[in-house]
Amino acid sequence: MKLQHTLGGLEGLDDPIDFEKQVFVQEWEKRIFGIHTAMMGLSSSLRDSPGGYDIDGVPTTFDSRWTWGDLRAGAEAMNPFAYFQYRYYEKWLGGITAHLVASGYISQEELDDATARFREEPTAPLPDIENPAIDEQVIRYLRGGDSPRRGPATPRFAVGDTVTVRNPPAAEHTRLPGYLRGHDGVVERIFEGNYSYFFSTGADGLGEPVPVYLVRFDPATLWGAAAEAGSGPLYAELYESYLSPAATAPEGDSTS
Amino acid sequence: MTSHFEYPSDREAASAAQVRALEKLLIEKGIIAAGTVDKVLGYFESEMTPLNGKKIVARAWSDAEFAQRLVSDTPAAIAELDLPIGMAGAEGEHLAAVANEPGVHNVVICTLCSCFPWPVLGLPPYWYKDPVFRARAAREPRAVLTELGVDLADDTEIRVWDVSGHSRWFVVPQRPAGTDGMSEAELAELVTTESMMGVALVETPARS
Repeated sequence: MKLQHTLGGLEGLDDPIDFEKQVFVQEWEKRIFGIHTAMMGLSSSLRDSPGGYDIDGVPTTFDSRWTWGDLRAGAEAMNPFAYFQYRYYEKWLGGITAHLVASGYISQEELDDATARFREEPTAPLPDIENPAIDEQVIRYLRGGDSPRRGPATPRFAVGDTVTVRNPPAAEHTRLPGYLRGHDGVVERIFEGNYSYFFSTGADGLGEPVPVYLVRFDPATLWGAAAEAGSGPLYAELYESYLSPAATAPEGDSTS
Repeated sequence: MTSHFEYPSDREAASAAQVRALEKLLIEKGIIAAGTVDKVLGYFESEMTPLNGKKIVARAWSDAEFAQRLVSDTPAAIAELDLPIGMAGAEGEHLAAVANEPGVHNVVICTLCSCFPWPVLGLPPYWYKDPVFRARAAREPRAVLTELGVDLADDTEIRVWDVSGHSRWFVVPQRPAGTDGMSEAELAELVTTESMMGVALVETPARS
């Protein structure tokens, strides 16, 4: 298991919640958010989007896939203690920088040089190279989105079925909250259509279009004696890859 | 081990310089342009803001049939309203709503990351991403809500939605007492981002 995948329900956290209502707590955080979002809007994966984007016609030198999965994989692959050390957008900055260097878009040396220069002169101007066609594609993506829905739903389970959450090997990235592994829940709803995930999580099971379910869990089964008295149900939205029929050994169990 | 928890004293200045270096290089290399980041930020400052969510909730409070449709087919209901283009855009491709009602209170969380309905509420505030919030809200939602100032009756059922699949969820809070006769615009002003994720109630407006 990986700690950052098993955050839900973690015990011993007596700290008060940081009820910070700001979206950004440092000005620089806005810039990395903007860079990430622009890369999403220029991602080569948009060629296959139902949004019908003419990605090949956009005059950007970016020619890589950049999706939420790519961003999340960077954060989730971190040393778990480091994951909790860094603030949200610090993880974005680290992951995006690492990706751009590893993909050869920028070299570590030029990045270090430029960073050193901005340390000396934080407000030194950025290059004044406008390119409206790039900006227009990014905004077009923001308005149009990129639905992962692909084809009609092909559900293996029915509403009311009891399902057992599988226990696939820990991957660098997952959409399975760790505390659900091995637990039984009841299918509350089947979403219309199948849904792909634009990033293969390998043995974890995501990538190809699959049905998605809303599954209802009883807190007493999830948390046992640590459940809050009288608490209501917990609902999770789970890809079919994470579910197996109940009353059998969970499929894909990595521990048994 | 303790080294993991040491922060350099120039932490923010270092990040600020690094992100500016990154933006400079991306512009020079033709990946993005000089105005791209500002255009993205402008989109979220002017169009995709919590104002959209406030209007959606105010309509639901004013029109019971709309409120029904908002839960049963959220995208179609939202498309009825005069909101900015892009409500089904990035992080709004598959919107879903749950409604609070007498005896039922909903809280939406994401224990894996920060899944958030951008077109409805804009970008997620920091509390939503706080590891302590994400950890505790999954298992002890009532204690968390009490800590955040939401006092619910003991017999109110709290439903937790830890939703990180394809949908982006939000909560339709309950209309507060003392708001009879208020216009949708007046009602919209009462609604907060926090109430639309279930960590706040909408308060009865103070008499002026």
